[in-house]
Amino acid sequence: MHRWRFLSILMTLGLVLAACGGGSSPTPSASASAASLPPFTATSYPTAGPADCKAPADSKHDAYTGEFKQIKAIDRYTVEFDLCGSDIAFLSKVAFSAFPINDTAYLEAHSKDKSIVQVPNGTGPYFLKEWVKGDHITLQANPDYWGPKAKNQTVILKWSTESAQRLVQLQSGPPDGADGIDNPGKGDLAAISADTNLKLYPREGLNTLYLGMNILDKPWDNEKVRQAIAMGIDRDRIVKNFFPPGSEVATHFVPCSIKFACGGDDWYTYDPVAAKKLLAEAGFPNGFTTKVQYRNVDRAYAPNVPILAQEIQSQLKNNLGITATIDEQESGTYIDNNTAGKLPGLFMLGWLIDYPDMTDWMDYHFGAGSGAKFGKPFADIAAAITTGATKTADADREAAYTLANNLIKQHVPMVPIAHAGSATAFRADVVGAHSSPLTNENFNVMQPGDRNTLVFVQGAEPLGLFCPDETDGESLRTCLQINDSLYGFEVAGTKPIPALATSCTSNPDFSVWTCTLRQGVKFHLGGVLDANDVVESYAVSWDADNPLHVGRSGAFDYFPGLFGGFLNPPIPKPS
Amino acid sequence: MLRFIARRLLLSVPVLFGIVLLVFVLARVIPSDPCRTALGERATPQICDAFIHRYGLDLPIPQQFVGYTGQLLHGDFGESIRYGRPVAQILVERLPLTVELTFFALLFATIVGITLGIISATRRNSPLDVGTMMIANLGVSIPVFVLGLAFEWLFAVVLRHTPFSLPASGRLTPGLDVIPLAQSWGLEGLTGPVRVVIDFVGNIYSFNALITGQWQALGDALRHMILPAVALGTIPMAIIARMTRSSLLDVLGLDYVRTARAKGLNERAVIIRHGLRNALLPVVTIIGLQLGLLLSGAVLTETIFNLAGLGLTLTESVLGRDYIVIQGVVVVTAIAYLLINLIVDVSYAYLDPRIRLS
Repeated sequence: MHRWRFLSILMTLGLVLAACGGGSSPTPSASASAASLPPFTATSYPTAGPADCKAPADSKHDAYTGEFKQIKAIDRYTVEFDLCGSDIAFLSKVAFSAFPINDTAYLEAHSKDKSIVQVPNGTGPYFLKEWVKGDHITLQANPDYWGPKAKNQTVILKWSTESAQRLVQLQSGPPDGADGIDNPGKGDLAAISADTNLKLYPREGLNTLYLGMNILDKPWDNEKVRQAIAMGIDRDRIVKNFFPPGSEVATHFVPCSIKFACGGDDWYTYDPVAAKKLLAEAGFPNGFTTKVQYRNVDRAYAPNVPILAQEIQSQLKNNLGITATIDEQESGTYIDNNTAGKLPGLFMLGWLIDYPDMTDWMDYHFGAGSGAKFGKPFADIAAAITTGATKTADADREAAYTLANNLIKQHVPMVPIAHAGSATAFRADVVGAHSSPLTNENFNVMQPGDRNTLVFVQGAEPLGLFCPDETDGESLRTCLQINDSLYGFEVAGTKPIPALATSCTSNPDFSVWTCTLRQGVKFHLGGVLDANDVVESYAVSWDADNPLHVGRSGAFDYFPGLFGGFLNPPIPKPS
Repeated sequence: MLRFIARRLLLSVPVLFGIVLLVFVLARVIPSDPCRTALGERATPQICDAFIHRYGLDLPIPQQFVGYTGQLLHGDFGESIRYGRPVAQILVERLPLTVELTFFALLFATIVGITLGIISATRRNSPLDVGTMMIANLGVSIPVFVLGLAFEWLFAVVLRHTPFSLPASGRLTPGLDVIPLAQSWGLEGLTGPVRVVIDFVGNIYSFNALITGQWQALGDALRHMILPAVALGTIPMAIIARMTRSSLLDVLGLDYVRTARAKGLNERAVIIRHGLRNALLPVVTIIGLQLGLLLSGAVLTETIFNLAGLGLTLTESVLGRDYIVIQGVVVVTAIAYLLINLIVDVSYAYLDPRIRLS
């Protein structure tokens, strides 16, 4: 009896307090206006003058390898990027959602305590209304957005690692389920296609799975052996049996929707007889013994790697008489071994797109600075790639990459196997639904029937919303809705289009880029965009010693990945 | 009684220490690369050096362990490698869901299990008994992940346009929120342990909604709990039903029950007052054991129903090599196990005065 009395008192107290309490959600700022802009003093970074592009290592820092020399605000709406060399892919890089423009004052106030990781302040079509950790994120349409207004008022992002769960949510539909899902399971695609209430949007695979070889090891130092592998592996069979629908056999190393990717000859056709003849000519009529190495991780380009390794092992034996053992390695060790050229035999690896330009794919793998991944770079391939990356005219670039593709086919440092496709799926009444080859779906162009709320279920929870310091697709997709970069990508495409910059133009050799900013753009939680915000946003990512170079992990992986290196890079520890 | 509890609590300390040590060492000897798992494969050696140093992973394992236990003694669970947030904060956010799910699953298992057991025992060998025990056997045999997915498909897809429609995932319908308890009570400025407790309790949505009168949210939260709680509670329900039946049949055959009937007591009183109370002792033991199993079963249930409780957190942490969160979850789960066992032991004395805890 006493317990019930206590409970009833507690409930009454709770009801009274509930009546007294009240909540409010963060709302976008409507304070700043163009008429009340503060005085502007242009800044630059580094403030002391341009960085030394060839700065050697010293006692505190490693040698500088980056491509930025200085970033300068010319006036309130003009910013200039001075580079150490030419970068023809600059627009594709600055369009990436890992390089959003933040408000300087907000960065200074919220970076050090990392609160910016949880509460971003962007200029995008949505602002963050709430993030219920582990459960969902609610985005609210930004009434002050500089571009076309969002076609829905609210986006709710949920997540589930299980594709079966995502499908049930899609089939269930609103109000409890979802309007759209990312990456339906391979086994669910037929069910989605057969359901008139749902619609599948295949996503082009901007990735490549390849079978690499180290040309410094025997017998891989013999070009005929490498060519035999290229002809003796039945890639059609692999793609048909082990890859999701929408995947394609690689005709070239880079997927064909990247400009200049598929110039030159298609890859070798499957011809085991010719392959065995080549092996015999190379002195291996009865094959040899080798390894098929891989790391067992789930990547978009490699569904079920152990099974793929077994298939390749079997094809090597049956088609070429080569006996291969399988060697599974821990992921980090495997990457380190690959970088150091310590993977003897055949190795499976892949590449996922960072930005849609040939330089992203070619330079890392086959460029002059590509290191020991395949033993050593081929000088002729590297020269062609350098030409492709530095020429200004499309015709010159096309010729250079056509030559590079043909040389790759001739030298065979690797065998490109497949570009793995994926998909999104939506309720059929979602107008404007799409899938983006960059996995950057724009929710602001989607109208979910007569509803105001769009619910989308992705594969995982975003790790953080300060995206210069994030690399996972789920965080970057969420950031894209909240933030803008200088450029963006066209909806469902890979072409860079102006966003916060109305234009970015370069000097003739692409070593200086000048961007003109859109005027009157407001940040959600206060602040009006100006050139100093661009300088500060890039400086925070660029300079490892910048006090605001702080995020969820502090790694800022994409900046050195795309722009060559940090300013003031830390010295690596001796291994 | 107090001495018994104190002794049991003291004995728990070495057990807890052993668990922490085991998990700490196991997590670190599994081949893995926490840096690239957390930061992506393009993390440079410099970035990984800084990352590993920041989390003390470059220190010898014994030194790391000493540091961690020192932190634990100060109530500091460390910072998540993956999320970059305090583990204690993550636990306060996520443990309440598991508590809520476990509570409803156990409630379902106990009420339905005991009821089915009584029905079965009192109608022994009747078609009802056979049918009930068939349900119980079926319940034990179906894995949670099969049952969960079948429930989702049936109630969220097949029955979606009927009154029996139930949500397949989440805690609330999109767009609906439970106001945090601290906000409801106007205590948003409060900090410290009291605030942690308030936040913890507030994250048990159904309880929060109940005590603050958020009736729509209460209904919605309960509606979202039905499928996962039934899926999670089905196996314990079946076990409890079978145990209740067997135990009650034993008791109903004893002399004192025959005496009670001979005195002219009605059958209901005989069964409930004389039979059931004595038959419940082994059932309570089973319920206690099931509570522990429910916590581990929550790993699957939470994954299938996409509920961000302790189970899903553990799964994510293992896959993401987030050692610090793995350790935090295991420590909390181990404490829960130890407390549950203690409560079960203490409840023996209440149910059977012949048992002396000392």
